[in-house]
Amino acid sequence: MAANDRTHVSRARAGSGWLLAASLAAYAAVVAGAPIDATQGPIQKILYLHVPCAFAAYLGFALTALVGALYLWRSEARLDRAAAAAAEVGVVFCSLVLLTGPIWARGTWGRWWSWDPRLTVTLLLWFIYLAYLLLRGFTEGSERAARFAAVYGIVGLLAVPLNYFAIQLFGGRAIHPENLARGSLGAGMGLPFALGVVTALVAFVHLWLRRLEVADLESEEAAATHGAGEA
Amino acid sequence: MNVFLAVLWKDLLTEWRSRDRVVSMLLFSLLVVVVFHFALPDNAPETTRAVAPGLLWAAYVFAALLGMNRAFAIELENEALSGLALAPADRGWIFLGKALANWLLLMVVEAVTAGAFALAFDLPLGSVAFPLAAVLALGSAGLAAVGTLFAAVAVRTSYREVMLPLLLVPVLVPVLLGAVRATAELLASGALPAGPMRLLAVTDAVFLIGSFVLFDYVLEE
Repeated sequence: MAANDRTHVSRARAGSGWLLAASLAAYAAVVAGAPIDATQGPIQKILYLHVPCAFAAYLGFALTALVGALYLWRSEARLDRAAAAAAEVGVVFCSLVLLTGPIWARGTWGRWWSWDPRLTVTLLLWFIYLAYLLLRGFTEGSERAARFAAVYGIVGLLAVPLNYFAIQLFGGRAIHPENLARGSLGAGMGLPFALGVVTALVAFVHLWLRRLEVADLESEEAAATHGAGEA
Repeated sequence: MNVFLAVLWKDLLTEWRSRDRVVSMLLFSLLVVVVFHFALPDNAPETTRAVAPGLLWAAYVFAALLGMNRAFAIELENEALSGLALAPADRGWIFLGKALANWLLLMVVEAVTAGAFALAFDLPLGSVAFPLAAVLALGSAGLAAVGTLFAAVAVRTSYREVMLPLLLVPVLVPVLLGAVRATAELLASGALPAGPMRLLAVTDAVFLIGSFVLFDYVLEE
């Protein structure tokens, strides 16, 4: 792989780092000043972390499947590294969702866990993409691991709408608010929420590029030592 | 198409000659019935009836997990899988042959296990035998489709026994939900419920088409 590509990634990573720092500062200031919810109290502010993290996690899993499909088409090892990095970062964000959710639920719904459809689908996604990462770890040969992982990532994404409809039909009572339709946020809550989404997505991109950079270096290193061993 | 029939015939013939998979799956699912007996409260037919459909499908999934890796494990001996991959046809047909063989095997095991369930837990499954067979057929189709695809993946990892359930179960949820709900409503009303059956049909179609297309990349070496 051309070192040139890596320079691009490094530059984009550095740029996204500055963007992330700026947006984190603005986010922290706005969330600190955001109004306290009249019925839920301060715990409602977990919204500004919980939902943006969920968006970042879904983005990560969608990218895993889409970039994985691209890999199957083009067979470029770099695409596989990008898909794997998206899955790793997606799992991190998904874990944050599954940690912040119960804390909020305990405070407002009165219990840590409920089998609400959106909750169950997110939990299953977490399992699917953890299995994706395990599968990569347990498969020998990077080309084979890449193909297996791409196939599994695609089926995992195919299963999302099916899971969602199935669980919505039969799998449990919904207690998540019906969408964040416009107007469902109180006055003064729109800005911190929007900033939260922007920050989470920038954080996702930044971590993704960082992970990709490391993976590129690892593969260069492996290629170098392999070549030296042969010589 | 010829490849499809050849693979199907070969898998059924090897299974008929050895009978190792069907026997081990059957014994295992009967053992699961015994274990479920200890899990259920005594003299509470209401409870038993309420949880039986879920338990029945749990037993099916366990049995399927046990049997499906084997279908590809035997292909790894003497590099038979590479030979299969060289067949001059779309590899999707190899997948369909394997999946249909798995499906037939599952149906046999499921029918016997359902009979054991009916006897052991006093369930009136006999009176709904035909509609129940339809539920089993649709549920097993989804199970056999993704199960066959993932078994082809799992047997070539270094941790094959663990990998298959970890890959399969989270993806299988729509099939399980549809099948359990259909079985439960069938037991309660005696008629096939439209909603769960439709869900099963849609899920089966998505999984079958997806696996047919993706199997090519699993076999490519």
